[in-house]
Amino acid sequence: MKRCFLLSVGFFLLLMLSYCGTARRGVPMFDPVDIENQAVAQGEKVYMSYCQKCHPGGEAGLGPAINNKPLPGAMIKFQVRNGLGMMPAFKEEVIPDEELDNMVAYLKTLRKAKEE
Amino acid sequence: MKTSLRLLPLLLLFVLCGCYRILPSNGGGQGSIRTEARPINPDDIALPAGYSAEAVATGLTFPTAVAFDEQGRLHVLEAGYSYGEVFLEPKLLRVEPGGSLTTVATGIKNGPWTGVTFHNGNFYVAEGGEMLGGKILRISPDGNITSLIEDLPTMGDHHTNGPVIGADGMLYFSLGTATNSGVVGPDNYDYGWLERYPDFHDIPCQDIVLVGRNYTSNLPPEPKSEEHVTGAYSPYGAATTPGQVIEGRIPCSGAVLRMLPEGGAPPELVAWGFRNPFGLAFSPAGQLYVSDNGYDVRGSRPVWGTGDYLWEVEQGQWYGWPDYSGGLAFNGDRFAPPGEEPPQPILAQHPNKPPKPVATLGVHSSSNGLDFSRSDAFGFKGQVFVAQFGDLAPGVGKVLAPVGYKVLRVDVESGVVTEFAANEGKIVAPASKLKNGGFERPISVKFSPDGESLYVVDFGIMETGEGEDINPVVKTGVIWKITKTKPSL
Ligand code: HEC
Repeated sequence: MKRCFLLSVGFFLLLMLSYCGTARRGVPMFDPVDIENQAVAQGEKVYMSYCQKCHPGGEAGLGPAINNKPLPGAMIKFQVRNGLGMMPAFKEEVIPDEELDNMVAYLKTLRKAKEE
Repeated sequence: MKTSLRLLPLLLLFVLCGCYRILPSNGGGQGSIRTEARPINPDDIALPAGYSAEAVATGLTFPTAVAFDEQGRLHVLEAGYSYGEVFLEPKLLRVEPGGSLTTVATGIKNGPWTGVTFHNGNFYVAEGGEMLGGKILRISPDGNITSLIEDLPTMGDHHTNGPVIGADGMLYFSLGTATNSGVVGPDNYDYGWLERYPDFHDIPCQDIVLVGRNYTSNLPPEPKSEEHVTGAYSPYGAATTPGQVIEGRIPCSGAVLRMLPEGGAPPELVAWGFRNPFGLAFSPAGQLYVSDNGYDVRGSRPVWGTGDYLWEVEQGQWYGWPDYSGGLAFNGDRFAPPGEEPPQPILAQHPNKPPKPVATLGVHSSSNGLDFSRSDAFGFKGQVFVAQFGDLAPGVGKVLAPVGYKVLRVDVESGVVTEFAANEGKIVAPASKLKNGGFERPISVKFSPDGESLYVVDFGIMETGEGEDINPVVKTGVIWKITKTKPSL
């Protein structure tokens, strides 16, 4: 319980703090996203098919930004599978586990993109 | 301590999932918008390394498209109509070197003129038809206007768009739907056209069978007790019954059609089931692509969370409007607006299972004009460039941040979408919101005949208030020219 508490406080603070930074990543403002890695390249396509419309480029749009907060992979996956709030859930029949892993790998690569 | 301990994970959940419902809409036309001036500064537009932008014409009123005549001279359309019910005279203008403008032709108040192409010595223009119905016009270089086809059923929410010429020599154009999702309602009254055309509604391209679902509404000036029951593909106040057949005819709503450029023969159906197929472009391989604006959260049958789409157009196919979005059926709660019922199908049978889109674009991004890069000198050869006008929130629905306001490029093989040009800043938004000198609302893109420059038509400032309150600002339109200044490595 103690750990849960500390973790929650940690996440909460991180989330709050991170709302300040820009969520823009990739070209033209940042370095191109490195999609040399096959898994990342496949993850990008998954992201484009299912997420891009509400979180364009990982920025806010209809939904909130996801690039500018240090969301752990597990939390991204939880959100995708359960769709907390207004976001629709995406079950395994739609995005298989492996594709979801790749998509998370893509999102993490995108998040790390450096400013030009 | 104990209670706060238990509350924290809850609080966390709240941060994760409570935002959308609670946060106010923050569209690109909302909030503090600078409407009194439009400073121009190309440095405020972020471009890939080695590209630069300049403004080649400014002070335009609602520009929508450009074309080049056989001497390569730049021409631009002024729409003559904007959402917000502003009716002016549409114009075809020549942009002289130095940026001064010469009027080639002036149309009647039946805009918006949405698109132009130059072919065999003449300009071909799509006249939107908000007042009198859509037309395809031929305009000679000395300004003579001939109407090739008239009375296209586009006096509603969306207009007659295009045209482009195919490798087969035919002229391709498109018609947007009358309504958001098939049912005439109070939103159409707010837009203005329902008062002008109380019987206007969507028209299918083929016979359709209705589920017979009806929607109850009343129009703003009436007392709440005054209720009207309206079915799909029917005039406001006309109810429908299960199994009712609505006869299809051509021209119809939400369709791509083609005709001979000299006119004379009735148009043929290419494909239908689109909502507002605004941008049409042929790929270098001769394949037709269209951009389509997705549903809004408005009217009697609001639909939430649907993207704009890029489609490869296949002959004879139905693309899903009004019962699918991006190939996904309305069969669950996925498309339900916050706290409302999800939209239910209105067609008892669907003409075919809609294809999968080539690319998925931002919800409410208003992804409009398209053009393919055909040149190594510019780069990204074979990719399609897309102009995003940007959201009209909150009238179209709530967004947490401005959506669109940029030029994208799409790899049509993989469907991967990459930003090509957008304003500098922490977020992408129109210059009037960011208070800089970059893009307002890119509405179309066109490569120069040599393929070396990309022209971006920027409609200008458009402020949005509650509901359908839209305030477009005249004389704020710009044409930008983007060129590659350094060869790629
Ligand atoms: C139809 C629009 C829509 C789609 C599609 C969508 N999301 Fe979301 N997403 C939202 C909304 C809205 C929220 C905020 C939920 C709320 O506040 O109700 C959200 C929240 C999130 C969050 C939590 C963000 C935070 O601030 O903590 C993550 C992570 C996320 N989405 C990732 C994804 C991924 C990955 C995909 C693709 C598989 C996706 N989303 C698809 C609309 C969408």
